[in-house]
Amino acid sequence: MIQIESLGIPAVPIISGRFEGDAVASSRAFGMPGLMFVVVPRIYRNLSPAESIENTEPAFEDLVNMLTKSSGERVEGEFLDFSTEERFEGEDRFDAVNRMNEEYLRRDWGDGFPLMPPTENVVDELIAGTSLPRDEVVCDMPPGFGIATVEKIAINSAAAGAKPEHMPLIIGAVLGLSKMGSDGGKSLLMSTSPQAPLLVVNGPIRNELSINCGSALGPGFDNRVNITVGRAFGMCLRNIGHWYPNKMDMDTIGTTRKFVMCIGENEENSPWEPYHVDKGFNLEESTVSVFITNGELDVQDQGNDTAEGLLKTVAYGATFGNKGLWGTHGEERLILLPPDVAGPVGAQGFTKAGSKEFLHMHTNGSLGKMTQFVPLENEARVAAHWKWMKGLSERELLELNTPVLESAERFDILVVGSDRAKTLVMPSGPASVTVPVDQFRP
Amino acid sequence: MHLLKVLNPVAPQRAMQSVKIVSPRLTTLEGKIIGLVWSGTHGGDIALKHVGGMLEQRFENLETRFYTGGNYPNPPHILRQAAEECDAVIGATGD
Repeated sequence: MIQIESLGIPAVPIISGRFEGDAVASSRAFGMPGLMFVVVPRIYRNLSPAESIENTEPAFEDLVNMLTKSSGERVEGEFLDFSTEERFEGEDRFDAVNRMNEEYLRRDWGDGFPLMPPTENVVDELIAGTSLPRDEVVCDMPPGFGIATVEKIAINSAAAGAKPEHMPLIIGAVLGLSKMGSDGGKSLLMSTSPQAPLLVVNGPIRNELSINCGSALGPGFDNRVNITVGRAFGMCLRNIGHWYPNKMDMDTIGTTRKFVMCIGENEENSPWEPYHVDKGFNLEESTVSVFITNGELDVQDQGNDTAEGLLKTVAYGATFGNKGLWGTHGEERLILLPPDVAGPVGAQGFTKAGSKEFLHMHTNGSLGKMTQFVPLENEARVAAHWKWMKGLSERELLELNTPVLESAERFDILVVGSDRAKTLVMPSGPASVTVPVDQFRP
Repeated sequence: MHLLKVLNPVAPQRAMQSVKIVSPRLTTLEGKIIGLVWSGTHGGDIALKHVGGMLEQRFENLETRFYTGGNYPNPPHILRQAAEECDAVIGATGD
């Protein structure tokens, strides 16, 4: 609608339910805070035709007014404070920090957990952790396209408890997200589905920073760097990317994956070249890759010892999820393969590319089952090459087996984990972005 | 007493550096062409067509035209076409 308004034509969107906050935030993100819109109570998606009409009629007069009369007041959204410094008085330092936390968390400037105070000294120390100058603009960070200066990245990282040596990774991850394109960097993050970023580190920096590449996802001392780097990135995403809940982050239920984690590939226990080498980087380079994930499933193998058996188990787990019927938003699977699966598979002669090909061949499912989530009628987003399904009966559709993904390249395999053949499969996509981080070291 | 000075983590947004102003509104809807732009998501088309019908009933010689790009978000050329062919546009969005 903003594009149409920019061409000089009045444009009024009908906004559903709780999306009012999103409309205000989006109108700011795209530079037209005065965009007018009408609000109807319910989201249309699952309403009957009669309910859709009932939902719309009360907004009709507002709609006419928005097209013909200036509202007189522009929708500015909530007040956003960009003052450089905040002051908090307390009886002692502990009390002052508590007051800061109360206020910062009330403004939704955190992740709900207590924040470390981003004082000028701490922020200066973090900025010294990178070769980039304080005012360097790394990128405009989606989904709200805040200006990601090194200083703002450092302030958010300080609040997350990051250390100077973490800065190259955090800067790389912020830059990586901005390179994901509109689907990954913007549309999916703003979705009602719980898409969330996952950071994966390759190269020497993993061991230098003690990034856990074993049981790498979850709480605990061994994961303190994984947690801190992920948290710092998550803070940047909120306060630089303006990814605030119920504004630009519109999850229906949400996910704990939005407490973003950073993991390392277990390169030392992989039979194959590491992920960043697949992407064209040298073994000795350090990189961070940004993935967008939409779920996770533990795929247990309870006794196979052949490569084919182990991979078939993984393939079965990888059927988890819907089959994308859209023209865009390429569905992928991120496969976190533990050494107890990757090792035997590699030792029995499978390359990584060969494993992906095998997974693609065996990750099949009932087309009817996988497509029941979307009506083929009255849903313009179903790509033209799927329209042939309209002519089939439900029984015929259920009996058709098809690969879940478009091609073997849609699988990403990373070797992660400690011992035991438990693979973690994550529906993911679009394609990850890998950023070399040595350029950001001091 | 202790005074804690901390830095603000919120970054200004690029688009807000050069804010765009909304277009002038129409003086009347009579005789106008109103575009109905559907994002493709289920149910939005029903709402738009119903609104279109109500507008046609209320305002003399008002015409509605329906647009969709078959995907979400609508491709730019569809939005451009609607802007070129219509006096005002209504969209169904917000999921």
